[in-house]
Amino acid sequence: MKQYVLQRFIQMIIILFGTSFIIFFLFALLPGDYIDSNLSLTPQRAHELKALYGLDQPILQRYFTWLGNVFHGNLGFSLKHQESVVSLLNKYVWNSFIVALLALFFTWTIALLTGVFSAIKQYSLFDGLVTFFVFAAMSFPSFFISLLFIKWFGVDLKILPIGGMIDTGSETTGFAYILEVGKHMILPVAILTLLSVGSLTRYFRTGMLEVIRQDYIRTARAKGLKERTVIFKHTLKNAILPAITLLAFELPGLFSGAIIMEQIFNWPGVGRIQIESVSFRDYPVLMAFTLFLSSLTIIGNFLADVTYAAVDPRIRLK
Amino acid sequence: MKRLSLIFLVVFSMLLSACALNSSGDNESKDSGEKASTSAVKDAKGKSYKATDVSALPDKAKARKDTFIAGISAPGGVFLPYFYENGWDGNATTPIFAPLVDLDKDGKPVPILAESWETSKDQLTYTFHIRKNAKFSDGSPVTANDVAFTLKLLHDPAYNGYQDISLAAIKGGKEYKEGKAKTIEGIKAKDPQTIEITTDKVNAKALLILGGQVLSEKYYGKDYKYGKLDYLKDLYSKPLGAGPYVFSKYVPGQEIRYTANDKYYAGKPKTKNLIYKIIDKATSLQQFETGELDYAGFPADDDTVEQLKSLKFANIKVEPVNDYGLIYVNNTRPQFKDKEVRQALLYGLDRQKIVDVRFKGFGQVADIPVSPVSWAYNNQGVTEYKFDPKKAKKLLDKAGWKTGKSGIREKNGVQLKINYLTSDAEDAVIPIAKENYQDIGVKFEPDITDFNALVSKLTKKNYDFAAVSTSQILDPSDTVEELATKNPNNYMGYSNAKIDKLIQEGLGTLDITKRKEVYHELYKEFTQDPPYILIHYRQSARAISGQIEGLVPDNYTGIGSSLPNISIKK
Repeated sequence: MKQYVLQRFIQMIIILFGTSFIIFFLFALLPGDYIDSNLSLTPQRAHELKALYGLDQPILQRYFTWLGNVFHGNLGFSLKHQESVVSLLNKYVWNSFIVALLALFFTWTIALLTGVFSAIKQYSLFDGLVTFFVFAAMSFPSFFISLLFIKWFGVDLKILPIGGMIDTGSETTGFAYILEVGKHMILPVAILTLLSVGSLTRYFRTGMLEVIRQDYIRTARAKGLKERTVIFKHTLKNAILPAITLLAFELPGLFSGAIIMEQIFNWPGVGRIQIESVSFRDYPVLMAFTLFLSSLTIIGNFLADVTYAAVDPRIRLK
Repeated sequence: MKRLSLIFLVVFSMLLSACALNSSGDNESKDSGEKASTSAVKDAKGKSYKATDVSALPDKAKARKDTFIAGISAPGGVFLPYFYENGWDGNATTPIFAPLVDLDKDGKPVPILAESWETSKDQLTYTFHIRKNAKFSDGSPVTANDVAFTLKLLHDPAYNGYQDISLAAIKGGKEYKEGKAKTIEGIKAKDPQTIEITTDKVNAKALLILGGQVLSEKYYGKDYKYGKLDYLKDLYSKPLGAGPYVFSKYVPGQEIRYTANDKYYAGKPKTKNLIYKIIDKATSLQQFETGELDYAGFPADDDTVEQLKSLKFANIKVEPVNDYGLIYVNNTRPQFKDKEVRQALLYGLDRQKIVDVRFKGFGQVADIPVSPVSWAYNNQGVTEYKFDPKKAKKLLDKAGWKTGKSGIREKNGVQLKINYLTSDAEDAVIPIAKENYQDIGVKFEPDITDFNALVSKLTKKNYDFAAVSTSQILDPSDTVEELATKNPNNYMGYSNAKIDKLIQEGLGTLDITKRKEVYHELYKEFTQDPPYILIHYRQSARAISGQIEGLVPDNYTGIGSSLPNISIKK
């Protein structure tokens, strides 16, 4: 096991390097840079600015300068925000994180419960309803459903705020602040949950159904075990195994999945920053954020492999 | 407003939402005798609708007694003029920093911190007289040294912001920047309230550059050393200026808060608190509807206007925006070199239809390269290219482009094809131009790319047609300068000696009456020999909550100049 973990760890480091290299070059190869997108600069001024920002150096040199800085914990300086990338992301990333984490929690809880129950009661009315709602929720575009909810709960019923994270001009602190933010989170979290709960429910339902049909479940039942023990101890445990991988993959999704939602609800998250930096070719932010996401993917993968190997010994034997 | 984006923004939805603070004015702007006969100018006045029932205001808005909330799109937190890179930060700094000179609703200079100014006979030397009671919010007076310091900062070799001070051509500025001189020769503080600035070149736009927002030397110049401006970064989030409001708090991604400045030269603003709330255009209407906002701008269309009207508590103004949309034509390509071909392509395109599709009645066909709200707008005697395929065909025939076997016109074995760059996948030009141009035997191929790629092709002159629109036009010279043969930003490769001369003349005098004549002449020549295809002027809708008084958004400063006068009816 130790050897397997070490092996995967070294692999991970190499992949991280490779990714950073690819990311840098892909962005550098995109036509236009931050200065170029400003058509009104005179060529002389543009040239001066490029020299000031170091954009006139060859790509390879820029890559190593950047990499060297990354090792010192310096992810660069945002051209558009005139602020270090670390502090910029730090300002917004946590806001994205709390929404995504809550949504993740609700999605998994709801999906697990409904998935399991609709599998147990396959073809029942409950199962039918779940299947129906799952498909309905999956087929709504997030944009549409967000605006609909804003209209219902924000404009017509006036019970929930339309957007933002706090009330305008609010000066609350402590517990009152938490309550206020919580209230603003209801709609975005509800919508994110609604949108992703569908596929996961289906996933759990199918997983459960597959395991229920296995011989060992039949044996367990034949032995006269209680139905509850059969379902939760034997079936669920086996059915949930593949979900470990899934959960690990959700790690990067936590930060990148909610861009549209953040925009509509004016949630001060990292998604908006990301979109902006693409359109303005703000390379330092773009690269830092992409690197961050790809690192999360790679680390998530690593964690998935390791935990999977821990619970299923057949994997590390290979 | 202020350098909304220094760029040509095309697709950026920003452009539309920009109207949040940016604006178009109520327009009696057409002063002087020129009786603008055309529908363009008539439309330019726009429409306004009064609130019918102010009591319909949502309770949230009624409860606000001393706070005015306006929508803003996406500020980034750099609250220092000349140093922000994000146009929205420009909006956010306007309440804090007052300039010496600003523009009024007609785009003409008005004194703010300067009581008055004079220009020398040769139009090279500007003397600003600063108001005696002009003070920064910390109580220290605004002096000639502060102005000198601000200009010096812009000449520093480490300065990397958007302001290109070399355009003002201050005497000795270049030497200072290159480190050859310790001071800038052309800047002289005569006494604490008087500053004299000498330039090397007459430039009609220099007044605004020189008379920009003033930074306090005491506050921003404490640690100044030549060639080192990094210390200013710590002050980006702690602005101090001489504007009507004082910055109090920035909640990233949420809002910017201000309080009234009781040291403001014109007296403390009437409303104690000002908040710029960050909104998204998808939900700004709902924000206004629920009383979260007192002021917001929207893209003009029937649905939005109707919905705003149905709220009953909103004062609505639908007015033209101070910019225009166009299609660049690459004049260096052999097929477009001929002015008759360009004329034919104008006649052959149903621009009215494009404007109708895109703006649904809230836009009009552009005829000259300035917006109808500018003081320079005068379309009398210019050639208007009404849709006329017959004329287009005739012109193409005359230019030697004959219809070939494939139905496409050819000349010397080359087919008349247009590759059209656009960054808008739903560009209304595409289907209409395709059909129109096919009728006159021209092949039209759209090429949808992202904006940066478009710009990159544009700057390399590697394109046929490219769709762009201008940013806010502060001075009529802004849009025509790029037509000059030697202008490095002449991405069309256009060259016309008469236009070159007129551009120089337009910039070479400070006399507005004279400039008007020059630009009128220029517009006439422009339409005779069109460098590119003008498409639209557009309108935007602004909604002001019924209980707000004294807010008159204009086309140059947005709500900026109204800020000291806003009050809430109680």
